[in-house]
Amino acid sequence: MMDVGRHPRINLLTYSEIDNISGYIGNFHVTVRKKARFVDEAECNACGECEKVCPVVAVDEFQQGFSSRKAIYMPFPQAVPSVYILNERDCLGHNPIACGKCSDVCEKQCIDFDMKDQLIEFDVGAVIVATGMDVYDPTEMDEYGYTRYENVITSMEFERLISAGGPTTGHFIRPTDRETPKHIGFIQCVGSRTQNGKGNPYCSNICCMNTIKDSLLLKDHYPDTEIKVFYIDIRAFGKGFEDLFQRSKQAGVQYIRGVPGEVFEDPATKNITMTVENTATGAIEDHEFEMVVLSTGVIPRNDSEVIRSLLSLSRTEDGFFMESHPKLKPVDAPTGGVYFAGCVESPTDVKDSVTQASAAAARTEILLNAGQISVEAITSELVPDTCTGCGICVRVCPFNAITGGDAKAKLPVEIVEAACKGCGTCAAECNFDAILMKHFEDAQIMAQIDAILDKDPMEKIVTFACNWCSYAGADLAGLSRMQYPTTQRIIKTMCSGRVDANFVLHAFEQGAPIVLVSGCHFVDCHYIDANRWTQKRVEKLWDDLEKLGIRPERLQLEWISAAEGQKWARTMKELEEMRQQVTEEEVDHTKQVLKEARLKAEAKKKAKESKPKAAEKAPAAAVA
Amino acid sequence: MDEAPFKCLRCGHEFKAPYDKKAPVEHACPKCNSNSVRPLKAKTRPVAKA
Ligand SMILES: [Zn+2]
Repeated sequence: MMDVGRHPRINLLTYSEIDNISGYIGNFHVTVRKKARFVDEAECNACGECEKVCPVVAVDEFQQGFSSRKAIYMPFPQAVPSVYILNERDCLGHNPIACGKCSDVCEKQCIDFDMKDQLIEFDVGAVIVATGMDVYDPTEMDEYGYTRYENVITSMEFERLISAGGPTTGHFIRPTDRETPKHIGFIQCVGSRTQNGKGNPYCSNICCMNTIKDSLLLKDHYPDTEIKVFYIDIRAFGKGFEDLFQRSKQAGVQYIRGVPGEVFEDPATKNITMTVENTATGAIEDHEFEMVVLSTGVIPRNDSEVIRSLLSLSRTEDGFFMESHPKLKPVDAPTGGVYFAGCVESPTDVKDSVTQASAAAARTEILLNAGQISVEAITSELVPDTCTGCGICVRVCPFNAITGGDAKAKLPVEIVEAACKGCGTCAAECNFDAILMKHFEDAQIMAQIDAILDKDPMEKIVTFACNWCSYAGADLAGLSRMQYPTTQRIIKTMCSGRVDANFVLHAFEQGAPIVLVSGCHFVDCHYIDANRWTQKRVEKLWDDLEKLGIRPERLQLEWISAAEGQKWARTMKELEEMRQQVTEEEVDHTKQVLKEARLKAEAKKKAKESKPKAAEKAPAAAVA
Repeated sequence: MDEAPFKCLRCGHEFKAPYDKKAPVEHACPKCNSNSVRPLKAKTRPVAKA
């Protein structure tokens, strides 16, 4: 961190927040709010005189509440820059009439009670998101007594208590009697791998190794301590990790497979007792400890939503940010020019975080050194004369790649091709055919529908499948030799967001008995949230079909992932059964109704188009 | 989130599930697991709680 702080080409902005980010790959404009620290960063030499005279006593967040700090303080011992900070909320002297003691003793006159937040603006070509994680708060798991029993602490609190820079200068003591505990229990997976609604279902990755490390630290400091670790299973994969696990066992740490359902405090001794089913031996065991450490899991930062919305990022089901591709682009965000490092993407340990950070830096260098980018071949293109500037495309674009548009001023929108990822949602939503989706143009898809339904349309199920998930699901079903009916005919689009309502109506008008729209599950959408628009569109189509007297059941929707070959096969079997229920009379009626509706809409559109022309002619005639 | 009535367009099963037009979530029929679940007419109005 010191190297970063000293580096001539790195501008380190601490105690700052992102206020806004606009633009796109290669051209981001960033506004940072540098919060007022009320201490002149350039002048403060961290002499500490201010801290000595400050009368305020506040909870020290860095020490997990085990000690106190002043209202003016150094955030933590190795803080970069090594400069004091005045906490506005804690300080009595923000109105200097009330106190001002720190200011009086500061020889360098660094303290400025009138300091204001500063907005700093700059342009960057790429952004690396490394906003870290939060730690699960086990208070909701009341069965473990955290906050009810003082001698139940979390692994983060353990870190402070065993640290030489901690509140006890590394003397490990228990909170109730300040004595060094002789029997310590660790409970693993607190808030991780739970299925009961408390905590999270995912594995937090780092907790097993953290506990193994903690147990060795304890054994190193206090060799006589009896340590027992209660676990579901120890996940010690990774270079040298199994070795560390074995060393911990050899040092005498007992690993017991099973976690307690509840812990209790002995009111007299303040010891913690528990009953555990040892699933390795089948025995029910009672244990008593002077101190219990809850190995708490990792959760996404609760303030990461700001960055998510500013950079148009999406989350996976666990709440962490979704990468562009889990195998091929693991540090790239779906938004071009944005990269991830560390726990923002998933719970990661130090080594993986450094690996990711190095990869993200390298990815950024590739982008910036090239000085130019290759735009995706599949992007949307504006037909300016047709665009009314209504702005619907601006609203639906998941990548903020479309800007401008003013219907009143008849200003067309602008498409930033460098930011467009080619989902086609804009083209599907545009009511004026003002957006061409290259390689997936309306005419191309309509031609595919016509070709499918040219012969024996009653025997076909027109299926729209997205490139990334449902088409890959179909592929998997085929590769796995799963048996399913052969009546479906697939039209591939990059995203289900491209499936225009007119494609579905056209298929029905051409005699399709069943139409299926399929795409990625919401959490897997490769275009952030484009498939939300698919769902909205299909829901509206169901309403429209019903109004026209067409059974909405004939339009089906399914989210199928690349791993769900079985779901694909099952869906096809179910749809085949549905297809066989559709009669020729029903299809003929549909064709008739949709044809009439289409002709009516076309006539209406023509009339609307000719109206302004007549109005334009009128003044000319008057002049003549 | 308020609940709204849904009908599965695969198996016909009717059920209630959270629904917010502004924040769509993925729905699946609790009976047949299909995603062809249609929010019924009362979709804009939250279902009155008993
Ligand atoms: Zn169903």
